Amino acid sequence: MDILQLIQSNLLTPIILFFLFGIIAARIKSDLKIPEAISEFLPIYLLAAIGLHGGIEMRNTGFENMLIPMLVAIALSLLFTLNHYQILRRLGKFNIFDSYALASTYGAVGAVTFSVGLSFLKNQGVTSEGYLAAILAILEPVAFIMAIFLTNMAVSKQIRQKKQSFTKDDTSDIEIGIQETKTKLSQVLHESVTGKAIVILLGSIVIGYIIGEEGFGSIKIVFDEMFTGAIVIFMIEMGIIAGQRLDDIKKVGVFLTAFAVIMPTFNGVIGVLVATAMGLSLGGSVMFGLLLASASFIAAPAVLRHAIPQANPSLYITSALGITFPYNIIVLLPIMFAISSIVHNG
Amino acid sequence: MKLYTIKLLTITCEILAQKNIIEILKKHEITGYTTYEVDGNGARGLRGHGLKTEKNVKVEVIMREEKLQDVVEEISRTLFANFAVVLYVSDVGVVRTEKF
Repeated sequence: MDILQLIQSNLLTPIILFFLFGIIAARIKSDLKIPEAISEFLPIYLLAAIGLHGGIEMRNTGFENMLIPMLVAIALSLLFTLNHYQILRRLGKFNIFDSYALASTYGAVGAVTFSVGLSFLKNQGVTSEGYLAAILAILEPVAFIMAIFLTNMAVSKQIRQKKQSFTKDDTSDIEIGIQETKTKLSQVLHESVTGKAIVILLGSIVIGYIIGEEGFGSIKIVFDEMFTGAIVIFMIEMGIIAGQRLDDIKKVGVFLTAFAVIMPTFNGVIGVLVATAMGLSLGGSVMFGLLLASASFIAAPAVLRHAIPQANPSLYITSALGITFPYNIIVLLPIMFAISSIVHNG
Repeated sequence: MKLYTIKLLTITCEILAQKNIIEILKKHEITGYTTYEVDGNGARGLRGHGLKTEKNVKVEVIMREEKLQDVVEEISRTLFANFAVVLYVSDVGVVRTEKF
């Protein structure tokens, strides 16, 4: 299959065209915007649809075979986060906070990217394993938790070193540092697990599992047939926000720009190959790769601004939303699809 | 009607710092405050458009002078370095001082 042709045909889908249109609207400084209530509603709707589909699929196929892909996904996500950190810190010369924040942004998953991926597969007439929705929910907090843990470790280590150079009798600061780490971690854990994204996703998976195919019939028109249409509306908003940030891309620098393209490609291709080796279907391998390639830009600022406030948010939001997201949905998705087709058919 | 002079602390900050501020207030046993979403421009660029997490809020708190120093000190120490925050204090007149 010709990858270039696939990218070209993907470029002319409504999702991508409306995204590009949103960017243009922002660039010409149009006052076009999606009303706030709708742009807040759409991610919830998309996650509900993903969850329902996942739940129904899991009822059909059972979920005993999801355990290994899930554990592998978690392991890869953690491994990639560590890898990102080393690259950013050593080669990119970013400070500890920016490095960990960016590492976890790229280790985390993007629900919007996932939606676009599902719609892309639907367009190609390919299905994917339903339990990937559950993996999406579980992967959401993983990278953040590790990055926050490591950041706090690094900070308390610094405090300890400073303390040792002064006096040896007073340990209260270290204790405070460690204490703060603990409360921060449990807070983040609680917030991300009870956060709206995970709650709606897990809730919909359970409901989808209970109602099954026949129960879904009555709501199919909303949660199945309107899915791509809803993404299109959301893509206008994403395009506008990305367009507004286009000037900021210059500020993120050459290194981070390259990182924002090369890392997802590397992670995604590894993901497709690993998923294929685990026996996932053609579409499932693409979605598995997409999970690992995507960067978080809706959940990331909310989590990281509290957990690692020292990190510069415009770095991780701009690179994830302004560079990686368009790259993933326009270029990488067709590439991963082509790779998955090749390894599944040959 | 007699008006009693009391302090009004106004904080304009990015929305993600709001929780930290409310927590500081709570720590100092201040339970009454008003918040509202605002737009504006500042050192960190135009605020109030884009993602929901990039909005600004304004927090208004009326409090007695005794608590003011500690609250302002804690906000300055914990938030000024990393968040977009502007705060100022003004004198206001209230009718019922026992409320604050």
